[in-house]
Amino acid sequence: MTFKAFIFGLLATFGLPWLVAVVIPFSTMRSLDPVRFEDGSKFEGVFMPKRDGRINEGSKIYGQQGCATCHTQLIRPTYAGNDVHRDEWAGLRKSAGNPDTRRETLAMDYDDEDVAHIGMSRVGPDLSNLGRRLDQHLAGTGLSPEDWLLRHLYNPREIKNYRKGSTFIPSRSSCPSKMGLFKETTAANAKGVALPVEIEDGKAIVPGDKARILASYLASLKKDTLGQPLPEALNYNPQAPTEEN
Amino acid sequence: MAETTSTADSNGAALRASIDRSLRHPVMFFFTSGAAWLAVAIVLGLVASAKKHAPEFMTCCSWLDAGIVDAAHMSALIYGWGVQAAFGIIIWLMARLSRKECTNVGTILVAGHFWNATVAIGVICIMTGNGSGIPWMEFPSFVWPVLIFCFVLITIWSLIQFQVRDSGHVYVSQWYLLAGLLWFPWIAVTAYLFVFVFDGNPVMATGIAAWYKGTLFLLFFVPMALASAYYLAPKVTGRPVFSYDLALFGFWALAFLGPWAGMQKLVGAPIPQFLPYAGAAAMVLILIPAMSVGVNILKTVAGYGDVVAESPSLRFTASGVVLFVVYGFLSAALHLVPSMKMTQFSYSGYGLDILGLYGVFSLCAFGAVYFIVPRITRREWLSRRFIKWHFYLSLYGVVSIVICAIIGGVSQGQGIEDLSQPFGTMAERASQYGWGVTLAWGFLLIANLFFCLHLLLMWARLGRRSSHPTLLKAHHGESPHGPEGEIDNYGSASA
Repeated sequence: MTFKAFIFGLLATFGLPWLVAVVIPFSTMRSLDPVRFEDGSKFEGVFMPKRDGRINEGSKIYGQQGCATCHTQLIRPTYAGNDVHRDEWAGLRKSAGNPDTRRETLAMDYDDEDVAHIGMSRVGPDLSNLGRRLDQHLAGTGLSPEDWLLRHLYNPREIKNYRKGSTFIPSRSSCPSKMGLFKETTAANAKGVALPVEIEDGKAIVPGDKARILASYLASLKKDTLGQPLPEALNYNPQAPTEEN
Repeated sequence: MAETTSTADSNGAALRASIDRSLRHPVMFFFTSGAAWLAVAIVLGLVASAKKHAPEFMTCCSWLDAGIVDAAHMSALIYGWGVQAAFGIIIWLMARLSRKECTNVGTILVAGHFWNATVAIGVICIMTGNGSGIPWMEFPSFVWPVLIFCFVLITIWSLIQFQVRDSGHVYVSQWYLLAGLLWFPWIAVTAYLFVFVFDGNPVMATGIAAWYKGTLFLLFFVPMALASAYYLAPKVTGRPVFSYDLALFGFWALAFLGPWAGMQKLVGAPIPQFLPYAGAAAMVLILIPAMSVGVNILKTVAGYGDVVAESPSLRFTASGVVLFVVYGFLSAALHLVPSMKMTQFSYSGYGLDILGLYGVFSLCAFGAVYFIVPRITRREWLSRRFIKWHFYLSLYGVVSIVICAIIGGVSQGQGIEDLSQPFGTMAERASQYGWGVTLAWGFLLIANLFFCLHLLLMWARLGRRSSHPTLLKAHHGESPHGPEGEIDNYGSASA
């Protein structure tokens, strides 16, 4: 093996996968074709999932705090796993008040984020639809998803208002606390944003900026079809035809 | 005739001694600072693992928060210990095999200090909540160009040494060293540009980061470990490599498969569908290079069991090679399509990473350290007991981590897929195995306290002045190294 042959071999064995697995898919994925709703559908124009919240900043903090070590944000198609059927990870199940809103994750679900936090492992549940689940669980309690999330981030195990049916159950979460994102201040300065935690008189715990941004991001995680049906081209679980049509 | 041979021998010995002397400071710098980082990484790993099953553990310090401490642990392990140990191996081995003294010690040392400072800054950034949150690329984006630049400054002299060597045989170790030196910058620059600089789709950025993780291990850490193994196995036993053709085959199999690995983390993610499966296929087929290297090295030392048992370098190296074969089998089993469902997001991936980084790379690197350090300090290791403890605790610790993480991970993943069980049960199931992993990191911590202390004593030039290497079995009667206490004359210790 001459030196030239050696270098040529390295260039060939590395260069080809580098082009095929990195460079070309990167440029393809960079400009994905927009998907339009089909003619005759109730919706018009291009499908673009909408999320409200501080997505870009929140996604950065989600990464910095290492949330992706234990939480995923990926609903795999059924050929790759049972995620669609697990709890309410993929959206809401069909119930009296709700249509079935479950769906798989799409490329545009991560728009406005720098990197997609696919996640390392599932020590905790998938968060693709955390905002959606909280909306449902907190309906009628007067507690906003952001407030619930702030309490959960401060102390994941003391929260008593995780509701199931009409009974409140204490959280069995094994999530570690993110107390570092909160600060202690005087009760006078807290101005109504203090967390309802027991602490010495005259003091209060208030969320820092990062905690608020992170809560806003987490509450924005609604990657299902509620109010945002898929165009046929993206719908991998089409409705079975009924007898009427 | 006999006289000529003896002159050639003594010239060779003089050349080797002068190469060792020229590299004394940089190699010791990389090994000792690497060992210190390894201790840091293990302490962080212990905390990170404890938090998996005891979430209230050390909640006082936000810089040790779960997630943050995991990132700091892996970064310290990879860039603090792993790459620095590789630096020591690269510059020493390439100089010895090319028969060239190192003439750029100053540059290497300055770049080495910059590397350490940059890794320290990166780890501090992670712990203050300013990391990137991308697996194995957790340092903030400004750190990467500095690291890549330092890497080039440290290793480019080894490429030059290879180029200007007196023509002759190119050793198997040199293929791996050369290839690793060319692959690393290519991989790192690609990952830096495509993840942090170019504006693309966020899912693809994650995919390329996963590719970086896969290729960094297979195309940098594995080649460095194998370069050391292909040097030490023939050197210590005094036999040629078992089969040159098999070595050639193993090398090209790795070169052919390695660049595809990594994206298996994204099965089911919205990226082109062939990418994750190409990654999974590469991880299955990695068994082929693992087997060919394993057979080749073990056949080289076969029949020399007593040498393997009594030489610290060979004992570590042989264990590392055996664990590489184990890595090949486990990787193949965990990345088959039916098991991917269970292993993709479970604890087992961490087990495989630690098997690779600690079981394969670090054990081979320890073997190299035990061989190289006495030569450059001209002192022998002080305590055979320290080496034995380091060996047994390391092996026991890494095997426990891998068994706990992989069995725990597979049962966790299998449970998450099983819809008849609630999710919470699975999380608890996995956390039981977390106890085992935490305990095993404790063993590794003790092992590396022995290693670190021993290395620092050698660094302080407190090693034994003897021409007898420290072997793991006491020798009686006549020794091939002459009577105890005699020191050869090449390169005086005071130089």
